[in-house]
Amino acid sequence: MTAQVILNGLVTGMVVALPAVALTLIYGILKFPNFAIGAMLTVGAYLALALNVYLSLPVLYAAAIGAAAFAVVAVGIDQAVFRPLRERSAITLLVASMGVSFVLENIVRFIFGNGARSFELPLARPKLVFGLRINNEQIFTAVAVIAAMTAVYVVLRHTPLGRAMRAVSDNPALAAARGIDRERIVRWTWVIAGLLTAAAGVLVGMDRAIDPLLGWNYIVTVFAASILGGLGNPVGAVLGALTVGVVEETSTLLIAPNYRQVVSFCAIALLLLLRPQGLLGVQRIKK
Amino acid sequence: MNIHGSVVSAREIILSTEGVAAGYGGDDIISNISVAVGKGSIFTVIGPNGSGKSTFIKVLAGLLPARTGEIRLGAMSIARLSAPQRVAAGLAYVPQEFNIFTNLTVGENLRVSTEFLERERRASAEQRERVLAIFPEVAGRLGLRAGYLSGGQRQMLAFACAMMAAPTVLLLDEPSAGLSPKFVAEIFDKVKSVNAMGVTVVMIEQNVKEALRIADIVLVLVNGATRLLATPDDILTKHDLHKLYLG
Repeated sequence: MTAQVILNGLVTGMVVALPAVALTLIYGILKFPNFAIGAMLTVGAYLALALNVYLSLPVLYAAAIGAAAFAVVAVGIDQAVFRPLRERSAITLLVASMGVSFVLENIVRFIFGNGARSFELPLARPKLVFGLRINNEQIFTAVAVIAAMTAVYVVLRHTPLGRAMRAVSDNPALAAARGIDRERIVRWTWVIAGLLTAAAGVLVGMDRAIDPLLGWNYIVTVFAASILGGLGNPVGAVLGALTVGVVEETSTLLIAPNYRQVVSFCAIALLLLLRPQGLLGVQRIKK
Repeated sequence: MNIHGSVVSAREIILSTEGVAAGYGGDDIISNISVAVGKGSIFTVIGPNGSGKSTFIKVLAGLLPARTGEIRLGAMSIARLSAPQRVAAGLAYVPQEFNIFTNLTVGENLRVSTEFLERERRASAEQRERVLAIFPEVAGRLGLRAGYLSGGQRQMLAFACAMMAAPTVLLLDEPSAGLSPKFVAEIFDKVKSVNAMGVTVVMIEQNVKEALRIADIVLVLVNGATRLLATPDDILTKHDLHKLYLG
């Protein structure tokens, strides 16, 4: 029973890792917590749903095309909303992202209605491995998330784009002096964030019903994961997500599942009190 | 009393300013600065705290726009160029603080220092080898995260990063600030070896004794204006620095 719960928690954590990394990358480059991260998940799920249900594309293709389309949308949102506010404070940008969140959510409601939908997936029995029940969606999730995280890691560590992203995140003024075009890096960051959140939306949608509040239900968990890992630290965000996933899932052994987000809230509160820079974060001195 | 000397250099002029003024907000911090830096020389800027030394070097580097005046690199006007464009033109700048990417490794710092510049300024393998030969302490730590380096090592890395673009003029903002005497001596040795390779150096220095020892020409800035432009020998024999600083 406990092993099953931990397995489920790890899979949940893997799904959360995608938007947590997106959140942390945007924070690293643009220095604001993007509250629209939940709504981005929702829109990503609905884009893939539209392709899956209306064009009868298999989920995998629908997810890939939907994610690519949403990456373009994410860059568009940045250019329309966040770019004019680039030099404003983090609070201004946070509030703007709340606005984006409400607008995205209501566009979804306007087009698709309030009802719950689901992907057209072939039904399959869960497999039994060492007494653990593993369903196809969980396997798909694990493979997709590990592939995505590996890709992000390779981009960040071993490509000029990744070095530039880390340089801009570390010291924007010096990066500019070194000829790194911040706006170009910002656009690529939104592309990556768009791909990751849309993919996460699809994975969540495969596990449960798709409704306009799909992403909203994950906001606290995603923020908890990113803060736990130290905002701005992608590896930390993944570890934070896995931790939050397992802890939330394990808590359902003790408390009603509806209250599991309390655990994330408590994690954020405790962390902000005891280690504000997060588990892997570095303390920043504000001059 | 404004001494406002002028030094006629026998060398070809590589970097010059004419009537440069700049500042933050409403007031000018530096005004009417005109200097000519000879090719292959070491040009040091000294002056009391708040005299506008860093402002001047930031204007040269393109991090702060000149409100009036002209800046030339060789015959080319660079006053309207951005900081990266000036690096591409052959001007490299080492800030006093926050001059490396602490989350990147030492090797990544070196790579990122030129990989986004125009093609002709990207460090070739030979240039990288040349730089690493001057900075063996950097070469030995390529895989280490730069945030783990000591203050002196960070300064060496920042210096090495600037050299990756093979600049004709190197701008150094107080490279010895806050360093132990051992590192101060090493930094000055590096300045000399880089200069011996033909790189012109413009350097701010608080340590007046060292500045006078190393420099070909010294600019004394007081209250944002040129107080004196002279050779170190002239300053030592004909002037009293205390009086110059007090204005």
